Amino acid sequence: MAGDNKKKGLAVTKKELIKQKVLVIWTVVFVIYGFIFYYLPLVGWLMAFQNYKNKTGFFHSKWVGLTKFKFLFSDATFLRTIRNTFCMGTLNLIFTTVMAIVFAILLNEIKSSKIKKPIQTISYLPHFLSWIIVTGILSDALSSTGIVNEILHNIGLVKDTVPFFSIPWLFWPIVTFAHLWKETGWNAIIYLSAITSIDPSLYEAASIDGAGRWDKIKHITLPGIKSTIIVLLIMNMGNLLNAGFEVQYLLGNGLVKSVSDTIDIYVLTWGISQNDYSLGTAAGIFKSVVSIAIILLANGAAKRAGEERLF
Amino acid sequence: MKSKTVKKILTVTMSAVLATGMLAGCGGGASAGGDDAGSSAAASDDGGSSDAAADDSAAADDSAAADDGAAADTEVAEGDIVDFTFFGGMPGTEINSGNNEIQDLIAKKTGVRLKETWLTGQTVSEAIGSIIASGTYPDLIDGGDGCQDLYEEGALVAWDEYLESGKYPNLSNYYTKAEWDQFRQDDGKIYWCNVFQNTKGEPTGTTHNDEAFWVQARVLAWDNYPKIETLDEYFDLLERYAAANPTVKDANGNEMDVIPYTCLCDDWRYFCIENAPQFLDGYPNDGSVIVDFDGKDPTIVDYNTTETAKKYFKKLNEEYAKGIVDKDFGTQKYDDYIAKLSNGNVLGMCDQYWDFMQINDSFRNTGLENEGCNYVPLGLTIDKGMENRWHTYGDTLNVASGIAVTTDCADPDLAFSFLDKMLDQDIHNLRFWGVEGVDYLVDDDGLFYRTPEIRANISDPKYRADHLCFYSYLPQYGGTSDDGKNANLPEEQPSEFFDGLAKPLQDCFSAYGVKTYPDMIGSVKEDVNATHPWFPMWSYSNNLDTSTEGGIAWTKMGETKHEWLPKVVMSSNFDAEWDNYMKAYADCKPEDFLNQMQEELDRRIEAKANE
Amino acid sequence: MEENKNVLEVENNSETKASAGTDKVKITGSHKKMKGGDLAFNICNGIFMVLFCVITLYPVLNTLAISFNDGVDAMRGGVHLIPRLFTTENYEIVLALKGISRGALISVLRTVIGTILALAANALLAFIVSQKNFLFRSQLSLFWVITMYVNGGMIPVMILYKNLHLTNSFWVYVIPGMVSGFNMLVMRTYMEGLPYELQEAAQIDGAGYMKIFWNVITPLCKPIYATVALFVAVGQWNSWFDTMLYNRMADQYTTLQYELMKMLSAVTSLKGNASAATTGQTVNITPISVRAAATIITMAPIVALYPFLQRYFVTGLTIGGVKE
Repeated sequence: MAGDNKKKGLAVTKKELIKQKVLVIWTVVFVIYGFIFYYLPLVGWLMAFQNYKNKTGFFHSKWVGLTKFKFLFSDATFLRTIRNTFCMGTLNLIFTTVMAIVFAILLNEIKSSKIKKPIQTISYLPHFLSWIIVTGILSDALSSTGIVNEILHNIGLVKDTVPFFSIPWLFWPIVTFAHLWKETGWNAIIYLSAITSIDPSLYEAASIDGAGRWDKIKHITLPGIKSTIIVLLIMNMGNLLNAGFEVQYLLGNGLVKSVSDTIDIYVLTWGISQNDYSLGTAAGIFKSVVSIAIILLANGAAKRAGEERLF
Repeated sequence: MKSKTVKKILTVTMSAVLATGMLAGCGGGASAGGDDAGSSAAASDDGGSSDAAADDSAAADDSAAADDGAAADTEVAEGDIVDFTFFGGMPGTEINSGNNEIQDLIAKKTGVRLKETWLTGQTVSEAIGSIIASGTYPDLIDGGDGCQDLYEEGALVAWDEYLESGKYPNLSNYYTKAEWDQFRQDDGKIYWCNVFQNTKGEPTGTTHNDEAFWVQARVLAWDNYPKIETLDEYFDLLERYAAANPTVKDANGNEMDVIPYTCLCDDWRYFCIENAPQFLDGYPNDGSVIVDFDGKDPTIVDYNTTETAKKYFKKLNEEYAKGIVDKDFGTQKYDDYIAKLSNGNVLGMCDQYWDFMQINDSFRNTGLENEGCNYVPLGLTIDKGMENRWHTYGDTLNVASGIAVTTDCADPDLAFSFLDKMLDQDIHNLRFWGVEGVDYLVDDDGLFYRTPEIRANISDPKYRADHLCFYSYLPQYGGTSDDGKNANLPEEQPSEFFDGLAKPLQDCFSAYGVKTYPDMIGSVKEDVNATHPWFPMWSYSNNLDTSTEGGIAWTKMGETKHEWLPKVVMSSNFDAEWDNYMKAYADCKPEDFLNQMQEELDRRIEAKANE
Repeated sequence: MEENKNVLEVENNSETKASAGTDKVKITGSHKKMKGGDLAFNICNGIFMVLFCVITLYPVLNTLAISFNDGVDAMRGGVHLIPRLFTTENYEIVLALKGISRGALISVLRTVIGTILALAANALLAFIVSQKNFLFRSQLSLFWVITMYVNGGMIPVMILYKNLHLTNSFWVYVIPGMVSGFNMLVMRTYMEGLPYELQEAAQIDGAGYMKIFWNVITPLCKPIYATVALFVAVGQWNSWFDTMLYNRMADQYTTLQYELMKMLSAVTSLKGNASAATTGQTVNITPISVRAAATIITMAPIVALYPFLQRYFVTGLTIGGVKE
């Protein structure tokens, strides 16, 4: 029985293969390309197990086994940066995703393209401002003489000025807000694009049935872009540990160091500035492994739920 | 703290400052005078610095360079000029290469036109790492911290045969034999030479490019130029002035609240808050540690845990509670800090001169310099009557980096001849003073000077790109030139320096009877190389990395201090917070670091003894 | 199943999307009981959008204002929407930069060539992995998804490019980053959302995979192509790090962004120009003001490009919707 099935399966495969010849050829091309440009450089991961020096390169540097990893995971500072990175990454992911979807849907509800187009154009402009400019404006606004303190003071909410950047628990929300501010419009592009692909007759049919705006959003728009949302979500979950470097670096200061330092800042302090490429690589491997694990989990969950998924 | 990060970024910043600062300085832009190229270089290796003082090699250099001065008059035809490339492991301003008047003049005299490329958006080690990986080198290179890597990679040409050939007397005489020997690598050969802090003739020492407690000239004037020697007197003066003048006018005449004292803690620049204790105890800038040698064998002392450190931070804590220290000091970024200073309402701070000197231009433009907003350095100590060493006298030889010729250079002979000719007095003058009659004038006594129009020209970026060519990372001298009158670098010309000062600064200098910034500080005048043969210790601690226990401790100490020091200052219960800080500090195992420093200190003393 | 339903409706509806939109408003308007709710919705939405635009626009306009403001003056703060001390000096400084026109040319070339290549490669790859019957579908997906989260680090990549002779060449800008997991995924997702019946019909007519890709799928994919093109173009236009790493010594291939970067890192320590004291003019540049000018110069071309691509987001589907 089992043998029969197998034979049959093989036969099908062979037939299919011939049919899909052109796809297979292109697949080979893409795999070769990907192997060269993405997988071959992974030889560099060997550095994490060495005491890498420029002079000796990775073929002749001294092997040190897991020393670098042991150093990382015995260092309380590193563990703290994992927590910071993970939490900021999660906050950013949740809020930017929700905000981008909300914005895309609301924008889509504006029917006049004379209003809609300028708003959309405005919305993605901040994407082009570098972080250094955005954080500069943000710290101005939140400084003791900034506009936020002025408003809070004028409406009588606070007596003294709020030193926003010296209060540790405020740091994560500020970073999240900075991301929202800069990227909402840009992130919404892809959802808007998905919304435009929803068949307009569905809305008309719903209208005739007497559905209101909320009903239509709930029953047509959201289901229509569900696959986009899920795929992007899974994908971005892989980036949880890439919560960043620049924002935290530019907004952070000594007083909030314990919550602001991310893995990338740690790598800068301990790896690059100290010429310790090996340590930086070890941290990089850790990030990659965790990212892939998260992706596999999320993808698996989506698969079990019968939803769209990455692969 | 003096971590390696700090050093790198410092190197980077300082070099940029150097490259541009010399220009702006001689342009008279800095009312406080130009920065001193020599000490810039030292500061780039971590704030440690000394201005020019007698240098053993000076006399020898003098005569050799003089002989050679006239030799370069034969012109090289345009077609025979060779284009060389140069990479500098520090940010810099590119000139309009190939279209620059002085570059062309120098090319005609040397046969070489050098195209300079500078570090951008990377650390030095990353840049050098990628240059090594790419396998293509420029003809000349200053690899900064990456020099060692380049040498180990076999990318550099050994200088020995060229120095010994006798064809390049300027270079051979640039350093004494003992000094050249210090550049030797483990194969016994020389691969690069540092181009800064090399005094020829007499040192002129007009500037203090280093750290000090600074105070606005008008604050001193208001109190009839009192003698301020201690930390307590300093804050007392600030308090009294702020009480009498709660607001000051900004450039547009609007009233602003006075900020009596601010303190920068941003990233690597938090040295502004942390390293004062070593100076307050009267020690020079060894950077990472104090070397105590009073009547005993030199011993490493940690300045972070001394009584003086505690007193200093307690003082800051008290002043913070009184509202004298800026409320935002712990969170301000460098840009905010500079903006604040250029508003003119900050009365004082502790900082390295190069870190804030650009505000002098702002003061000049807005007219605030006439209000006495410019800062004057004070050489404070913790108790009265102590010696201070905020300013160090004497060249500091940094053998860790410098200009090198790479193996990719097709004609090393020409490269060395080019480097050699950089030291010819006429080319040296072309580089730093410019063209006579255009960029400087000569008075009846043979002294070079500049008019305000020339200064304006020279600080115009376009003019600089099209006309001036400093080759700022090629061999150069400080001190005075072969004529025995003029300074090699315009900003070190005393007359040029004093004329460029704002009126309130000139008044202030006169009131104290001083002519230069170092005089104002009144540090002990001693050749630091003679009195502190191990100086500076930072040249070792800067090169620590995480491969040693001491290096790990060093990085952790830096992180801890950065987090705790502002907390301690802002705390409502100083003593308890200080104890917490000390506990966190002890967890970094500073003893690992200190022991390693002691070993290095002993090694250096022994090496000197065997010399 | 759900897809099937959609397809039928798509086929029955030959109206353009724009006109469908207006129809909908009319239809909704005719239902009186809905009107109140809709009005409230519109008002809330309006307020939200106004707030959103104000908060979003401010930093951009502020940057614009600073770019036209005297540098030293801007350092004092307080410049919001209108330059206080107007000057074009910041732009003059940036535009007078040597090599800026050549840099701009290289930037345009890399953006155009890079976008076309990336679009072609990603679309083809996405098409392959969108084929439900394809035998190695999920393996190929995974292969590319992994590339999004791993990298070997700077040095190994450098050595690789050197051996491929990509360093000191233009091609380093467009070849290595041509295929990206992200772009492949968004395109694939979109393609999978297309009615499968269209492809089936073509297959019955005897069309091969490549023909289906070109004649059936591609025309339907304009919206997503436009989106990905924008992503790639922005990335290409803004990138400077690769120039620095691989073409630092090859002057002829440096890009606009790299030239600007070089200038900014030099200007960071630039002092303000002191000529004011002598000539009475204030010509002051500071990092803040020059950075603002450079930002605006960088932004302008992409901002100009966007509305052009935006057109496809809205009209894209009307072209392919009725195809049998």
